[in-house]
Amino acid sequence: MPSFDLQAFLRQFLYDKDNPLLFNNGFFVLFFAVFITVYFAFRKKMAIRRYIFCLFSLYFFYKASGSFVVLVILSAIVDFVLSNAIFRQKKQGMKNFLLVLSIFFNLGMLFYFKYTNFFISLSNEFLHTGFNPLNILLPVGISFYTFENLSYTIDVYRGHFEPARKFSDYLLFLSFFPKLVMGPIVRAHDFVPQINKPYVITETDFAKGFYLIISGLFKKLIISDYITLNFVNYIFDDPGRYTGLENLFAIYGFAVVIYCDFSGYSDIAIGIGRWLGFTIPPNFLSPYQSRNITEFWRRWHISLSSWLRDYLYIPLGGNRTDTFGTWFFPMIFFIAITLATMNMFNLIWWQSLSITGGIILLFVLPAAISRDKKGISTSMNILTTMLLGGFWHGANWTYIIWGALHGVGLGIHKVWMLITGRSLARTKRTWVYKIIMTLVTFHFVCFTWIFFKAADFNTAMIMIYQIAHDFSFSFWVPFFKNYQTVLYIMALAYLLHLIPDKFPDYIINRFQRVPMIAYLVIFFAFLLLYGYFKAAEPVMPIYLQF
Amino acid sequence: MNSNRRVLFFVIGSVGLFIVFSWLSIYYKFKWSPFERVNLVSEVVKAPVKPKRYVYHPPVPKKDTVHIKSDSVFAPVYDFELYNTAKLITNFNADTNQPALKKFAEKLHDLKSGKKRKIRVAYFGDSMIEGDLISQTLRKELQDSFGGCGVGFVPINSPVAKYRISAYTDCSETWSEENFREGKSNRLFLSGHIFHTDDGWVQLRDQSFSNDSVLIEKSLLCGATNNPVTISANNKPFTVKGEQLFNRIVLGNDKGRSVKLAVNNDKLPLYGVSFESDSGVFVDNFPFRGVSGIELGKLDSSFLRSVAANNDYDLIVVQYGVNLLFRPNDTAFGWYGEIMRPVLRKIQHCFPNSELLVISTADRAFRYNGEYKTAIGIDSLIRTQAQVAYETGSEFYNQYASMGGANTIVEWGQLKPPMANKDFIHPNFRGAQILGQYLFEAMMRDYEKYVHSLKQPN
Repeated sequence: MPSFDLQAFLRQFLYDKDNPLLFNNGFFVLFFAVFITVYFAFRKKMAIRRYIFCLFSLYFFYKASGSFVVLVILSAIVDFVLSNAIFRQKKQGMKNFLLVLSIFFNLGMLFYFKYTNFFISLSNEFLHTGFNPLNILLPVGISFYTFENLSYTIDVYRGHFEPARKFSDYLLFLSFFPKLVMGPIVRAHDFVPQINKPYVITETDFAKGFYLIISGLFKKLIISDYITLNFVNYIFDDPGRYTGLENLFAIYGFAVVIYCDFSGYSDIAIGIGRWLGFTIPPNFLSPYQSRNITEFWRRWHISLSSWLRDYLYIPLGGNRTDTFGTWFFPMIFFIAITLATMNMFNLIWWQSLSITGGIILLFVLPAAISRDKKGISTSMNILTTMLLGGFWHGANWTYIIWGALHGVGLGIHKVWMLITGRSLARTKRTWVYKIIMTLVTFHFVCFTWIFFKAADFNTAMIMIYQIAHDFSFSFWVPFFKNYQTVLYIMALAYLLHLIPDKFPDYIINRFQRVPMIAYLVIFFAFLLLYGYFKAAEPVMPIYLQF
Repeated sequence: MNSNRRVLFFVIGSVGLFIVFSWLSIYYKFKWSPFERVNLVSEVVKAPVKPKRYVYHPPVPKKDTVHIKSDSVFAPVYDFELYNTAKLITNFNADTNQPALKKFAEKLHDLKSGKKRKIRVAYFGDSMIEGDLISQTLRKELQDSFGGCGVGFVPINSPVAKYRISAYTDCSETWSEENFREGKSNRLFLSGHIFHTDDGWVQLRDQSFSNDSVLIEKSLLCGATNNPVTISANNKPFTVKGEQLFNRIVLGNDKGRSVKLAVNNDKLPLYGVSFESDSGVFVDNFPFRGVSGIELGKLDSSFLRSVAANNDYDLIVVQYGVNLLFRPNDTAFGWYGEIMRPVLRKIQHCFPNSELLVISTADRAFRYNGEYKTAIGIDSLIRTQAQVAYETGSEFYNQYASMGGANTIVEWGQLKPPMANKDFIHPNFRGAQILGQYLFEAMMRDYEKYVHSLKQPN
């Protein structure tokens, strides 16, 4: 008889920092089974159901990040109190003050945990202050729930939304476990009204939820993990060791990885939500199918881009006006670009200035072409949004550069549209044009991924150098032989990506009610596939040059 | 119709079956790796009998009688197991108060006492030392303590030339190259490379030190030529007479630390340029990616003797091993010992004035059951490496134990910022700096033993 290790069993319930709770832990499977049973049992008792949900969510968060769960509770209390105060307050001045207080609290917390060390290193480098970096761990999900808190209080302030009356409503909105760790960023006005609705889901919800969960797990655990561990990490860690061919494919690989990772997680969250009776809007719509960079941002991390639009771009002035922020961040950026190009590429001041001038020109051009002065501030607002949006992803220059590149890309697209709007109208409808533009957009996005993934600017430059100077297809055969499985999985991922987004819905509607046994078979087939890839012998890097 | 019941049934049904399957597979000791990896209860339910762990114990080797060093009236007692000791350079002498690299320590002491001389170290290795990793730290520390400026040997080109910090390299694309992997030449230099061109240039610059007032001797390292060949060195014509199999020809001795060569004769076999001040310690970095060290056996003996005559070394360091661990489950490396032993003997034979230090592989990990762990064959490999050192009368340094033993590379890879790459093979520049530092400290402890022995009344 196998023995049951009670101690090990009990230990499973505690937070383990080497093994935090994620959707792929065995513990999550059990957690979810218990949760759904209790949730189902009390589905008609709204208050109890809510408390249960909060409790499980907070426990999930505890298993994922230990004592940082306190931060979620704390920020829920603060924002609940502040938002209600803002709502009740009649005086505009007081309302403003409370809003500033809330923004200060939320961003302050985010800044402390996420950016303190970045600014310490900045101050050390430029002011030679010699501060020691602090030992600060980044609480899981803080970037996501900070944004949710902000959107909530701002919406209340704007009068778009009546704040939640019950604290447990708000706590659940914030801590809803499927999306707590990696999004999507949920809006209160979408979510809170769903909390106290009867637990009713259709057969389509069940099928679509199942599809989202399994395909999300497949994307995250099989495609993304396999390519990361067996290829992408090797190359990005030390690109100078590898040829241009390997570096280029590592970037294609990372494009798959980042999409599968992020969208996989979102899909699981949305799928679980759907099973529990919550509708969360899609977060990714096959972004690499985009034909231009503007479209890319409508398909990539939609919950973030729409958040940035509503709470950053529009307050900055949007396409109507300008504010302090419109000019402040771009100014810093232009000065930084000039200094950086002078230092890093050993350029003379006028060479650097002309690069900066070229970029400024790019943002001024749309206004010049359309003879609309406001166009300049619109461009600057977009640039600011992309810079700060990039910085949100991580406290590193590389993310700012990533955001800046996307800002520049959006600028170029705008100019391109204005120049070619009429003259190429017919060409634009041809499929050749569409394919070329999809490829151009994809490669531009891939180029920006270099900076997103590389540990620092230098590593990114090494990668670009290797691709530009050390590229030869003569290494294809040994390269292919060594990374065969990785390349096949990448090809599969890109093929799946080409499937139109409506296709799964179409299939689900066709089949109507599928017997339970089919779901079980698919589930266990997935499980074994996951096991197979987990057990697969690792692919080791090789050298193509000596 | 409300399908919430379907969610419940599906979850309860699938998880229930999952638990049952998991438990049954443990109960019946059903081994099928895809399912084993996802077993839901394996952490809390254990099969009754624990699997035996395979441990490989090769026999303790015999000391080669030819190479026993008996410079003491008392025959030393040898302890092979000393190879396990971290941060110790050992010649297996049970009396660990005696220095292991005695001649090297003597020479260092000469420098310390104010004598002018050169001490040259050849640091051989695989991709772990590419880009002058580890060796640049060792060089810097040795030069800081005992004097000397100069990066030593810089090859005409290398796959990582652009990323080497201690030296700058830029060259035309017109060089043809033979090396350990490609070409038939048996007159490859210790670097494993030989270069020719009928119309090419190269620019090399020493960036390893900051003192601008030191005179740096810049020497061309090249092979034999039938007739003198005229090249351009720093834009001046320079005639190269390759009279020996291996030649070290001084190009200049001044404060400049940059050499630009233009060559238009493919009869001139070129290796690189050496940068050295007139006195001090110099460490030449000789990496070749993907190799295990047995490639050194391909070098022609008469050629090697010519290297020893014209560009002699006082200490030869060989650090290999990681490329032997290319399969996760290999545990027997006796064959490697058999092949490597004659290679080391050949080096000893061709460089009679050199001491030979064998450095073990550093830690390397594989994914076992989805988790990165130290290669299971590493103990066996290191024992084999130590055995070769023991049998050839070389010195030994256990890099694996020194860096922290099992799973250190995994920890290093997961640190923030990391000290190793995510292949869990290569320490990055931060990790390599630590390894270089540890090696230097071990050398200094060895040196201190020598200094201490001088003070003893004899």
